[in-house]
Amino acid sequence: MPSPLLPARPADWLFAILFVVAYVTLDWASFMDPLFALNITPWNPDPAIGLVLWLRFGRRMALPLFTALAAAEIVVRQMPAGPGLTLLLSAQLALGYGLTGELLHRVFARATLVNSRERLFYWLAIVFTGLGLNGAAYVGSLWLAGLVPPGAFVSAAARFVIGDIVGVVMTMPLLWMLVVTGSRARLMQVLGSWETAGYVLLAAALVWGVFQGHIGTEQYKHLYFLFLPIVWAAARHGLTGTGLVAFTLQASIIAVVRWGGADGIPFVELQLLGAALSLVGFFIGVIVDEQRQATEGLRQSLRLAAAGEMAAALAHELNQPMAALSAYGKACEHLIARGDNSPLLAETIGKMVREAGRASQVVRRVREFFRTGAMHLEPADAADIIASVCAQFTDACRAQGIALAIAAPAGLVLRVDRLQIELVLRNLLANAVDAVGDAAPGARSMTVSAREHGGRLEVAVQDSGKGVSRAMAGRLFQPFASGKSSGLGLGLVLSRQIVEAHGGSLWAEAGSQGLFKFVLPMPTEADMVAHA
Amino acid sequence: MNAELTVFLVDDDAAVRDALGLLLGIRGYRMALFANAADFLAAWRPGWAGCILIDIRMPGMDGLALQQHLKAIGCELPVIIITGHGDVDLARQAFRADAHDFLEKPVDDDKLVHAIDEAFADMRVLASNSARRATARALFPALTPREREVMELVVAGRHNREIALLLDISARTVEVHKARLMDKLNVDNVADLVRMRLLADPG
Repeated sequence: MPSPLLPARPADWLFAILFVVAYVTLDWASFMDPLFALNITPWNPDPAIGLVLWLRFGRRMALPLFTALAAAEIVVRQMPAGPGLTLLLSAQLALGYGLTGELLHRVFARATLVNSRERLFYWLAIVFTGLGLNGAAYVGSLWLAGLVPPGAFVSAAARFVIGDIVGVVMTMPLLWMLVVTGSRARLMQVLGSWETAGYVLLAAALVWGVFQGHIGTEQYKHLYFLFLPIVWAAARHGLTGTGLVAFTLQASIIAVVRWGGADGIPFVELQLLGAALSLVGFFIGVIVDEQRQATEGLRQSLRLAAAGEMAAALAHELNQPMAALSAYGKACEHLIARGDNSPLLAETIGKMVREAGRASQVVRRVREFFRTGAMHLEPADAADIIASVCAQFTDACRAQGIALAIAAPAGLVLRVDRLQIELVLRNLLANAVDAVGDAAPGARSMTVSAREHGGRLEVAVQDSGKGVSRAMAGRLFQPFASGKSSGLGLGLVLSRQIVEAHGGSLWAEAGSQGLFKFVLPMPTEADMVAHA
Repeated sequence: MNAELTVFLVDDDAAVRDALGLLLGIRGYRMALFANAADFLAAWRPGWAGCILIDIRMPGMDGLALQQHLKAIGCELPVIIITGHGDVDLARQAFRADAHDFLEKPVDDDKLVHAIDEAFADMRVLASNSARRATARALFPALTPREREVMELVVAGRHNREIALLLDISARTVEVHKARLMDKLNVDNVADLVRMRLLADPG
């Protein structure tokens, strides 16, 4: 049975070995300004790797972490505590980091990054508490073993804890992002932006300039310049940007200290400054991220609301034929129950078939819209579109005594999805036919006209119905605004969406007669040639 | 038994109107169909009895507006509202305007028939009340002013002796007036007299 604490597959072994190598390398790189030749340094970023991987893989990291800690003592510091004690102390450290990592693993369900103020607070609380207790316990052990002089316990513990916390706070976010798939993608995306290069370079240059005395006359007086890149990154790219800049600041500070740029200021203070800057950045960054998520959520819920409106409108349109169908069906039941096999029964069944057809018509219309949701733009003559749609209404107009007039000169060419624009026009004409039904039989007329107006095509559908009030004109485009039992609920909402998708607009003009207008952009000669 | 009562249906959807008309016709109701509120209002006569089924969503005057309008013109037909969407707000409005019932489309025909029968029962109570009210209003003018005074006091619950004191006449005379007015109004006891008085003048 494979132990959960031991790597199972060869790939896992390779991973564990790579981890140990990386850990020891980072330990070596950050082993400077040590206290009593122990691993008490002001910068200790290596636990960040351990914590991130523990966060990701849980207890399986215990053995590799212990190995890495012991190897670092052996390779980098040649075991100042002697072999036995070194192994014991490494085990103690592995336990401390492990407990902290386990807590992070529990709180941040694996693969989830800090994405809210609450989680940022949890992360900081766990890191500060875990590493604080761990550092105090470790230095306490060193002190008990006589490796730390009796009077130096407090200063040594403080130095160790600060080194750990600063190292983790400034390094962990970037490592974390690299480990989590979603945030790695976001990191790559951010790295592709010129602004990223801008604030990263600015951060490095400012650290260099400030510590070399190029900025200002007195050294370190102008540390506040360093707020610039961190706020820039946080405001533009949230936590991702801040993580990058925090790492850059850390690397720059180390470089400056390593190559002798900064004298006269204790390394520990520089480190605390870097950590404070990073924390400011994290707080701004997490708020920026939260706001971005809120905006995204809002957009999503608007989309859902639109879908909901669509569904409600569809349900309403289907309800009428359904109501008729069920009543006809019930009527048939009664006719059959009383043994009435009259022509009425056959006639009623015929009506049921017709109503079923009407219901499927509604479904087909919606499907037509959704299928043509992606637009297929093609050149089309406005007069052609108007003529073909009006032809579908000649019967209805004749039956109701409506005079239908068309005023559309040929040659007004559009680049549109013909099917969709026909749908819009059909909706408007159907509404107009319904509207003139209210007028007296002698006064029923409709006019469809098209004209060019400032590089745009304006189509107007006018009817002799009683028109809409100013208040109604605005409300019409919300589903169910009208009192009509069919048609208008879905039609105008969809029509406006279609016209707007074509870069135009659709509106109702208030007045004593019905008047709906829509405008569509007309292509220039160049457009037509380009798409020919 | 429903011979004198009619179901008036106002729905703008031709198929729904036709289907409900057919169904209720088969179930033995006398039907009158209207395509919109205006048509119904133009045809309405005060003597119409039965109930009215109104679709809420109609062009022009919608169902709730028609309901309000009917109240305003004194049409007492019980109103059953039919709606395509079970909208709580609409139902509340309808009931606040004394709708008899509120049904959802597609309508369950047993529920609909039940609602119509209840509405008819209401209508009959209403009709008999108004018949009695008409009789009462016709009979009261036959009373003399003195008899009217006596009646008001009797209805107010006064005893003969109190009435005699208040009107400054003898108790015997009060009894004579009372007997005569009850005779004229064709009632046998004080309870009926009170009921009739209230019916004639609900204000």
